[in-house]
Amino acid sequence: MNLLHRVNWLGWSSFVSLLVIWELFARATPKLELYLPPVSRILGALGRALAAGSLTQHGLVTLGRFAEGYFLSAVLAVSLGALLGYFRVFHSLLATVIELLRPMPSVAIIPVAILLLGIGDGMIVSVTIYASVWPILINTIDGVRNIDHTLIDTGRTFGLSRWRILWQIILPGASPYIVTGLRIGLSIALILVTTAEMIAGSKGLGFFILDEERAMNSANMYAGIVVVALLGYALNGLFLLAETYAMKWRHGMMARQAA
Amino acid sequence: MGLGRFNGIAFLLALLALWELLAQTQLINALIIPPPSKILAIFFDLLWSGQIPLQILVSMKRALAGYLLAAAVFIPLGIFMGLSPTVYRFFEVIVEMLRPVPPPVMIPVALLFFGLGDEMKVFVIFFSCAWPILLNTIDGVRGVDWVLLNTARSFGLSRGKIIWQVILPACSPQITTGLRVSLPIMLILVVISEMVGSTDGIGYFVLDSQRRFKVAQMYAGMLALALLGYTLNQLFNFLQRLLLPWQRGRQLE
Repeated sequence: MNLLHRVNWLGWSSFVSLLVIWELFARATPKLELYLPPVSRILGALGRALAAGSLTQHGLVTLGRFAEGYFLSAVLAVSLGALLGYFRVFHSLLATVIELLRPMPSVAIIPVAILLLGIGDGMIVSVTIYASVWPILINTIDGVRNIDHTLIDTGRTFGLSRWRILWQIILPGASPYIVTGLRIGLSIALILVTTAEMIAGSKGLGFFILDEERAMNSANMYAGIVVVALLGYALNGLFLLAETYAMKWRHGMMARQAA
Repeated sequence: MGLGRFNGIAFLLALLALWELLAQTQLINALIIPPPSKILAIFFDLLWSGQIPLQILVSMKRALAGYLLAAAVFIPLGIFMGLSPTVYRFFEVIVEMLRPVPPPVMIPVALLFFGLGDEMKVFVIFFSCAWPILLNTIDGVRGVDWVLLNTARSFGLSRGKIIWQVILPACSPQITTGLRVSLPIMLILVVISEMVGSTDGIGYFVLDSQRRFKVAQMYAGMLALALLGYTLNQLFNFLQRLLLPWQRGRQLE
């Protein structure tokens, strides 16, 4: 019953009416077939491509590249960020290099990556790492720098080793910032994977969508976009779930502070 | 602070010197990673000959058209969605369905409808800048102090006047945030769309240089892009101070 109240009936009906208008409009104007096939035909193409396994395969390739790139960039950026946030010397050395590289749109690295690594998985994963490192790195640095210094000093007074201070004080303290960086990095990683696949791929959803467009199979192209959207939606949902789980302690702490 | 700045620049220069040395002595393949001196020389050549400024101009025309269009459509929509729960619910599902689509995936759709022309890029940029602008505007409007609104109402201000004189100024910090977040997205998407389907623009220039193996020219194009990103950000800050000077004062409070 509660769920029934929370469902946004108005929103869903406007969404469904939009699809119905699309369907009717596309059927009424066959001229548009090439650009805007009826929704039913897109869903049919989606079903066929999924059943044949081709779309699933492209989807898995994209997911694999994404996971590899995103995971590596998270590990790299958080450790580098902790280092740069904690040790002023490192930060003062690298700050100018970071300031110079960061405003460059990350996709501009793709041609260099093609040159150095050729066209293949390695290139696509590398550009994904490069692009999603930035938001995670910057946020981690900010997070580490914003930790209440009393906490670190207290840890020192109690004779905690540097390592334990890092694990038990600095990383948890900076985690809200790190999570923000990771969330931004997630969507950027997805953008870079699909882009790199369009520019230099022979597999993956980005390749599939552009290839179907060039072959004028617009129903398949839209089917590919639906799959990418679902993938994006699922990854975001998964992230929120993991965040709620991992940051549970923090909500508890905030509530206690408020009370 | 001054020392930190000095350290950073010294480290950058040391890196560049090492790169130059490695490339000059062929310890790294200078065909693929040419020495910085060569990249800079080509960069200035392309700058004076007007080729880089021309490509940037072409790209910026497309980028700003899409960006401003997105602002013109989604700031008003965000205000209405923030003010009226009904309007919000009406659009919510459609927005939530479109938002998780990674923007570059819309390029093939835009190619289909608009071909290789400017409209294709403008549409893609419009689509990708839409969400940060829309969501931040909605948040901003919802965060407006109700006392402010009720005061305006009791003074008998019309709806239009309330929107212009109370709501817009009150939520301009969030709108600015949305516009700021969209700025790098705009730059990324103009570059991508020019790489995937174009015959000019700075994104095309960089990818085309790589394909023709004009490697130093490719790096020069990337340098131009980095400078462009930096300049756009500074320009944004400048405009913000110029047009919304009271924002800074309020933040200091």
